[in-house]
Amino acid sequence: MLRVDRRCFHNFDWILFFFLIAISIMALLNLYSASYPPVLWGMPPYIKQCYLFLMGMLGILFVLSFDYKELHFWNYPFYALIIIFLILVLFAGNSAGGAQRWINLGFFQLQPSEPAKLMLVVSLASYYSRKEVEGGYGLKDMVTPVLLTIIPFLLILKQPDLGTALMLVIIFVTMTVFARLRLQAYLAGILLGGGAAVFAWFYLLKPYQKLRIETLLNPGKDPMGQGYQILQSKIAVGSGGHFGKGYLEGTQGHLHFLPERHTDFAFSVWGEEWGFFGSLFFLGVYFSMLLWGLYAAMTARDRFGVFLAFGVVMLIFWQAVINLLMILGFLPVVGIPLPLVSYGGSSLLTTLLALGILMNVRMRRFQTGLGMDKVSKG
Amino acid sequence: MKWSGYKNLEEINEHDDAALDLLKRRLALAGALVLCFVLIIFARLWFLQIHKGEEYKNRADNNRVRMSDIVAPRGSILDRAGRELVTNRPSFNVVLVREDSNDVDNLLKKLSSVLDVDISLLWEKIREAGNRPRHIPIRLLEDVDWEILAYVENHNQEFPGIRIETTPSRVYHYGDLAAHVIGYLGEISRNELESRDAAIYQGGDLIGKMGLERLREKDLRGEKGTSYTEVNAMGFEQQLLKDVEPLPGNDIQLTLDAELQKVAEDLMADEEKAGAVVAMEVKTGRMLVLASNPVLPLKQFVGGISHENWNALLNNDKHPLINKVVQAMYPPGSTYKMVTAMAGLATGVIDRDTVLYCPGHYSFGNRRYHCWKRGGHGAVNLKRALSESCDVYFYQVGLRVGVDRLAEYANKFGLGHKSGIELEHEKEGLAPTKEWKMKKQGRKWQDGETLSTAIGQGFNLVTPLQVCLMTATIANGGKQYLPQVIETVTDPDGKVLQQFEPVVVDELKGENGHLAEIQQGMVEVVQGKRGTARTVRIEGLSIGGKTGTAQVVRLAQYKHLKEEDIPYKYRDHAWFTCYAPAEDPEIALTVLVEHGLHGGSAAGSVARAVLEKYFSDRLVSGEEEAGKNNGE
Repeated sequence: MLRVDRRCFHNFDWILFFFLIAISIMALLNLYSASYPPVLWGMPPYIKQCYLFLMGMLGILFVLSFDYKELHFWNYPFYALIIIFLILVLFAGNSAGGAQRWINLGFFQLQPSEPAKLMLVVSLASYYSRKEVEGGYGLKDMVTPVLLTIIPFLLILKQPDLGTALMLVIIFVTMTVFARLRLQAYLAGILLGGGAAVFAWFYLLKPYQKLRIETLLNPGKDPMGQGYQILQSKIAVGSGGHFGKGYLEGTQGHLHFLPERHTDFAFSVWGEEWGFFGSLFFLGVYFSMLLWGLYAAMTARDRFGVFLAFGVVMLIFWQAVINLLMILGFLPVVGIPLPLVSYGGSSLLTTLLALGILMNVRMRRFQTGLGMDKVSKG
Repeated sequence: MKWSGYKNLEEINEHDDAALDLLKRRLALAGALVLCFVLIIFARLWFLQIHKGEEYKNRADNNRVRMSDIVAPRGSILDRAGRELVTNRPSFNVVLVREDSNDVDNLLKKLSSVLDVDISLLWEKIREAGNRPRHIPIRLLEDVDWEILAYVENHNQEFPGIRIETTPSRVYHYGDLAAHVIGYLGEISRNELESRDAAIYQGGDLIGKMGLERLREKDLRGEKGTSYTEVNAMGFEQQLLKDVEPLPGNDIQLTLDAELQKVAEDLMADEEKAGAVVAMEVKTGRMLVLASNPVLPLKQFVGGISHENWNALLNNDKHPLINKVVQAMYPPGSTYKMVTAMAGLATGVIDRDTVLYCPGHYSFGNRRYHCWKRGGHGAVNLKRALSESCDVYFYQVGLRVGVDRLAEYANKFGLGHKSGIELEHEKEGLAPTKEWKMKKQGRKWQDGETLSTAIGQGFNLVTPLQVCLMTATIANGGKQYLPQVIETVTDPDGKVLQQFEPVVVDELKGENGHLAEIQQGMVEVVQGKRGTARTVRIEGLSIGGKTGTAQVVRLAQYKHLKEEDIPYKYRDHAWFTCYAPAEDPEIALTVLVEHGLHGGSAAGSVARAVLEKYFSDRLVSGEEEAGKNNGE
């Protein structure tokens, strides 16, 4: 049975919930437009996304049912499970566009690299919340977090999915800086990281991945490939003007000029149809939710709560920023979705579970000292 | 819970308020980071949408990169010798891209007056396109001639949204040859579009509608390519950016012999005969000729058949739409007598020397069953009974064997069930049994009906293909081969994907010896002095065959008429089936002429021409030798 204290319901963060619902409704409307005109066959993406959204809501209820503190215990089994999935996907995964990313679970195509991001957040939060080291962590303390990051990083890089792999590094850096390092540890990290990047450029990156980065620096180089996507996205967003072309009236999207318009480029459709002010409104709500999430971290009852809330917010934040900068032509096409907005079940479910953890932290902000068991008994 | 590093939950609860505050203070920095990026993104949005908004609006309207499909050339269809029957040629279509035209109404008016086409036809095409995306071209005129092509190309500034599209179109090098086998293409229908893979087909695509074009659609269609073109606001192509070439379809080589098929079809057409000509390799099952007359006018189907043409085909009393080789059923007439003979020999009720007396009729019950020869054949044995087609002989054999045994041997010869040939809507035919009649009509079998069954009338029904299969089975010593029409399927790189292999479906075991006696009788039909098909005889070639006449109706009112005076649709069908050379059979050939009256003359002459063509190499040399000998 769900062991939910009455106080928990009382302390439920309705504001965060309201943000989530508002964003989801706008996202589904946008998805309908992005997959317009409706196809005659199969289930349209927006219906599928609706089902997944409801599934994710049940997932949130589940996450809320236990004290987030128990994640300390479930963290490593969960980690091991995801790693097994990441290995499985390399051998038995379904490929699309030359990359092996999906595992068929029968009812659902799972992309394990999505929950891997959340898994890393929880693992690092658990590790860093143990102790505050005077003057920051030293190099020795970094062995475990680096290992935690590098195993899934290499597995995802092998798929190959450079964008998601780099996402793990960004999460690691963000959470580590937040936990604070000693000066020499920073220096060593920068040196090692820089060296690894140089090494990767010459030995690890596939030609198409290099091309993406080069295209960003010089979009004219490959007008039909990466440059084409970015150019079409910029034209779509730019032609939206002040107030946009109107819902379902976007031409770039509907006329198939815009590639992947319901997945990674979903926001281009919004920008084209709702214009500058519509985009401001949408992004205003979106980032307000994230800022509210940081406020939730501020009110957490313990270190683990702070790290979890911070990690979840930054996970969504970095994905959103990278996706938007890509759509607006500032970053190469790296295949990072806009959480809650882009079509894709694994990403949506992961994001909803992450928000569930945030709600959990917020809901239990006043419970101190005692584990859930004792509270519910007392 | 060792893995967590904690022994229990209580341990986690120790916390340091000062350190927690320190940590929380850093959250403010994170907030600043978020706001910072929000500002960058908003600034970028302002730059793109407000500052450069007009410019991008123009680009969205003017300079568009359009992705469009390139139709893949369909695979060719060849005959057994590699002669091209069907290939592709480029055809030019006038298409409209609705999105590029502001004023479709005026555009169509102008176009219809300049090109002299009915404007309602143009509107009909646009209506058919329905709610297809507006950037996908709609074909207004298909396969236009050079004059229209040149005009539209030269005046393209006057017709914004109108373009010329080049697509591969079918060429039929042998005209309507083997039209029923090859089939035709048509624009994909709404139903087909919904039931097929959306990634492969879209509205306006051509798809096989009949024959092998339909059955082998997957092989023939190939894979579409994509063309990236930059177009401006007027819909004019500015620049071709990139083409991903389409992958042509697989070529299909048929087992048919185009020359042989041509002889058969032409002769039937010249003599205005409706019917079927079927030829098969006796020892492999390769189909050499699959002719159904009148042929289907394939050209009428290119670009969609008109209503009038379709109705004309539908109402033609010679039924050109039906592939008579497999889709039409007739009583087998006297060609069935081989079945009766086989049943008689195999069950032991007769042997080769059994002599039965034919006075010209046979009395059974209270009825008199006539032989076709009113005066009677006198004493006949099996060989004579076959060669002179004596009905009375077979009445008696049939009675002794019984109808169920007749059906059993009919089945062994390939009658009464589908052959499994790769052609559409094959009919089963019918080899009646007592059980069948009880089930179908709820009445008991009458022994009198066995009599008419034994000479191939009554309930019996066969397709021309089945009669050919029967003949081949007799000729090759009892093997029933699967009739096949495809020799090879080859992909564009020349890799063979499918190769002909003979398949034996059924085999007569232990009864093969009787076939020799039937063969002798069939040879006598053509080569014998009193055979019913003496006119088919070819110098230097020994042929085994059998004539047949299938009654259509037997009406008293026509009895007194001369055959030529009976109305066409009440005349009897004429059968002739044969194999050659008799010593070592290669080919089995069956001809059916609808309402052709007599097997020997109407059908036999066609068979003779086809055999002469097939054996032309060997026969010519034979004649030359004979000439030489004379000269010496």
